[in-house]
Amino acid sequence: MTAYLSPFVPTTLVIIGAFVLLIMSTNKTIHLHSYLYVAVGFLLLAFAVELPQFGHENSLYVFPEIFGHSYLVDDFATLFDLMFLGGGALTLLINAIYLSRRDYYNGEFFALFLFAIFGMMTLAHANDLIAAFISLELTSIGIYALTGYHKNYRGSNEAMLKYLILGSFAGVFFILGSAILYGIAGTTVLSELTTFIQLHGTEHRLALSAAGMFLMVTILFKIGAVPFHSWLMDVYLGAPFPVTMFMASTLKVALFAVALRVYLILYADSSLIGNRAISVIAILTLLGGSWLALSQNILKRMLAGSSIVHGGYMLIALSSIGRGADLAAPAIMFYLLSYFISSVGAFGILSYIAADATRPLTYDDFKGMAYRRPYLSAMMAISMLSLSGFPSTIGFLGKFYIFTSAIESGQFLLAGLGIFVAFVSVYYYFKLIAMMYFYPEEETTGVRHPFEIHISTLLIGLMALVTIWGGIGTGLITWFPGADGIITIAQQAIDSLP
Amino acid sequence: MMDTIVTYLVFIPMVFAALMGLFQVRQTLLRAGAMVSALLVLGLTLLLAWHFDPNVEGMQFVRHLPWIRHYGITYYLGVDALSLVLLLVIALLMPILHLYMWNYETKGYWYNMLLLQTGVTGAVLALDLVLFYLFWETMLLPIFIMIGRYGHDMNRAHAMKILIFTILGSLAMLFSILYLGYAHYAYQGAWSFAYRDMAALPLDPGTAGWLAAGFLLAFAIKIPLLGFHTWMAPAYSSAPTPALVILSAIMAKLGIYGLWRFGYGIFGKVLHLYEPLLLTLALVGMIYYAIHAITQNDLRRMFAFSSGSHLSLIALGVVLANLYAWSGSLYLIATHALASAGIFLMIGLIHQRTGSVRIDRLGGIASVAPRFAFFFMFFALSIAGVPGTGGFVAELLIIIGAFSHAPWIGAAAATTMLAAVLFVFWMLQRVLFGPPRPATEAFRDLSGPEMLMLTPLAVLLVLSGLMPSLFTPLFEPQIQAELIRFIHTAGGAL
Repeated sequence: MTAYLSPFVPTTLVIIGAFVLLIMSTNKTIHLHSYLYVAVGFLLLAFAVELPQFGHENSLYVFPEIFGHSYLVDDFATLFDLMFLGGGALTLLINAIYLSRRDYYNGEFFALFLFAIFGMMTLAHANDLIAAFISLELTSIGIYALTGYHKNYRGSNEAMLKYLILGSFAGVFFILGSAILYGIAGTTVLSELTTFIQLHGTEHRLALSAAGMFLMVTILFKIGAVPFHSWLMDVYLGAPFPVTMFMASTLKVALFAVALRVYLILYADSSLIGNRAISVIAILTLLGGSWLALSQNILKRMLAGSSIVHGGYMLIALSSIGRGADLAAPAIMFYLLSYFISSVGAFGILSYIAADATRPLTYDDFKGMAYRRPYLSAMMAISMLSLSGFPSTIGFLGKFYIFTSAIESGQFLLAGLGIFVAFVSVYYYFKLIAMMYFYPEEETTGVRHPFEIHISTLLIGLMALVTIWGGIGTGLITWFPGADGIITIAQQAIDSLP
Repeated sequence: MMDTIVTYLVFIPMVFAALMGLFQVRQTLLRAGAMVSALLVLGLTLLLAWHFDPNVEGMQFVRHLPWIRHYGITYYLGVDALSLVLLLVIALLMPILHLYMWNYETKGYWYNMLLLQTGVTGAVLALDLVLFYLFWETMLLPIFIMIGRYGHDMNRAHAMKILIFTILGSLAMLFSILYLGYAHYAYQGAWSFAYRDMAALPLDPGTAGWLAAGFLLAFAIKIPLLGFHTWMAPAYSSAPTPALVILSAIMAKLGIYGLWRFGYGIFGKVLHLYEPLLLTLALVGMIYYAIHAITQNDLRRMFAFSSGSHLSLIALGVVLANLYAWSGSLYLIATHALASAGIFLMIGLIHQRTGSVRIDRLGGIASVAPRFAFFFMFFALSIAGVPGTGGFVAELLIIIGAFSHAPWIGAAAATTMLAAVLFVFWMLQRVLFGPPRPATEAFRDLSGPEMLMLTPLAVLLVLSGLMPSLFTPLFEPQIQAELIRFIHTAGGAL
């Protein structure tokens, strides 16, 4: 019994935290900062409990007499949990200033936030399609509500409604896919499905392929892959800043967690139709996302478009998995981490600067930023370099691994297209750097802000340092994972999968 | 000491920049620190050159450490004759540039220059392809910032232009690098990006041809060869002088270096496929750029095209692949770097004094500023390759190499020398002689520090022109060995 307990504690802590916040929010005199600290406290506590659990060789089913085989604890899920917990805490802390400048945030906001993270954690652990669907909906419902949190802003309402209706509709396909699988195999447990597909995969090829594609439709929709992306730009723009950041970074990680699990199980060892479909969708996503990102002037929308493109890069690796690239799955893990770090940095700086703004920030607002806020500009430049895949940042290694995996699987054109898209992305990322650095003081009339020591700015600085360290960090320092250690960790997590 | 010296060479400027940036030092301390770092690197480079043994084949002072074990990416630095020449040029130019910038108030300049030195030095020394790619890209960033932030005349657009062009080439190279690494994994079962391992890969000629194209695109854009040059004149005319000197004297040479080290080092077997194309581009480029140079009214643009013309000549020498041509190319890399650094610095001085580099606004400088006129004439003539300067020796060697390859190539190459003489003399006549114009009436002559800055360049140019035997033993044995190795891999005869 106790063996099951410790892997279960982090998840429980998060849900307890959510309820504590709900109870707290009945008292209207509590200051916003208290909620923030409680929420972050629970997240960090869970993180601290979970951290030592990574690296246990064998995976186990928790409380099999209650949950059956649906809740699996392995290194894969643990690593993702750590990313969600860290990502959630980072998102809240970096946005502390933004949140405190708005009067519409209250206790329920943080409760919903923790519910969403709880959903993500169970999603990563889910070894059963039904459990995965429930977790996915749990996450989504929390985020639907968060998206519309700015009640008096029409954009926010529009975003929520759009996301809710389209998201629920897309979610239905997951159920359809699960139903077909259940009809064929008589089970929805992923590990049993693997065995079934290995034994009888060829007899049910068409039905299995259809089911797999239905499952992928939901996931691709949530990732924002073209042609399922139409909601994404408006939702990212309309949602409050902390929520956009949460969706672009942490939620994306969660979705790729489930994508990886489903994909590795359904497609890895069989000749199902679908790899080609993913390749096609990767191409569409890369091109469409680039087009969207290129044509934006509002930075939030540019980052939204760029998040589509980054999803496309990961789809390249996903499609390579089924074509025999051993390195593709760890490459996705690494890329998730690298994208997560750089986009948290970029969104964090945007939200920090936008804390006092009344309208969405555009490229022009960053003119001469290097003179007004030299440190923040440097960090923003580092984030942009990393997002564009410039060497000596973690983003370069992320792309490096993705493209090598595509080459390994023989998809040369896809790798070439990925590199071309990275070339295109140089324009919209470097445009921001140019805005910040190329315009002298006189043209901008801004006052020079010193570096304000605050938890937000310190964390943004930390992200910038991690971005650099992740790109050049050497394996010679053994006790601290650099560029070398992270890929080893990712490999270890992938190896823990059945 | 000697086994870690290459690391010091690369990272001393960056460490100085980081430390001084961390403590937010004043400009006076900053420039002193930058100068100390540049002199330190120069001292270490001379020490390295002293210990360098030209008769030993292969890389010396090798530093080979694991970096990302999972993918076999290593921290792999080393020196041979080819990189030594470039290393010496970089180390020598940096203190001179710092001297030129001595009164620049803007601190950003200094940081960018220090980082730039780390970038270019790293690119010259790196022998692991991924490490090379890292430095190759990183050195672009300070140039981008310097052109965009401190440049003039549409500098923002021009900064973006050079960035986009260069990255296009780099990413094509990246694809080839990734493929090579994977090919090594597929054939040998282990990842590696070390350049010697790449040369040993049994690639089929078709694939190798495509991979070589990726590298060649990057280098052709950097040099720039004809057709890949549209970024050149805008970037040169917008760049602030220190960045301009680096662009022309070092970064363009790195394109040649890449062609040599990686083009011939890795793709020796298939490079003959591209030989006609490269020869044509280099030959036509030489003439085309020279004609363009004649017609320019802006001194920076004029010498941008002149630089392009000479780089095409160097590229021609590399493509010809015989001992004369290769020695000449390497010699011209060094002497052209010195001469073009001198001329661009002096154009910068003209800009400081008159606020313009348009030839039609200048004139009569010789009568008001004789010392300035003397040095200006000297550097301009070195560019043209007048006998007695290093450029003459180098160009002569390349032309001999060209004649021994095919007479018509030799004749075409020799014509460029004439074209260069033509535009240089006409430019000198308009800029230096005649009556002084309003802009040049009060032209200040060279001051002491400026003389100090230009004299070493001039002395070296004269020395290399009069006594080439002083320098050639440094690189000739290795060039010969490399040539023999290349001819073996290419399957030809001497």
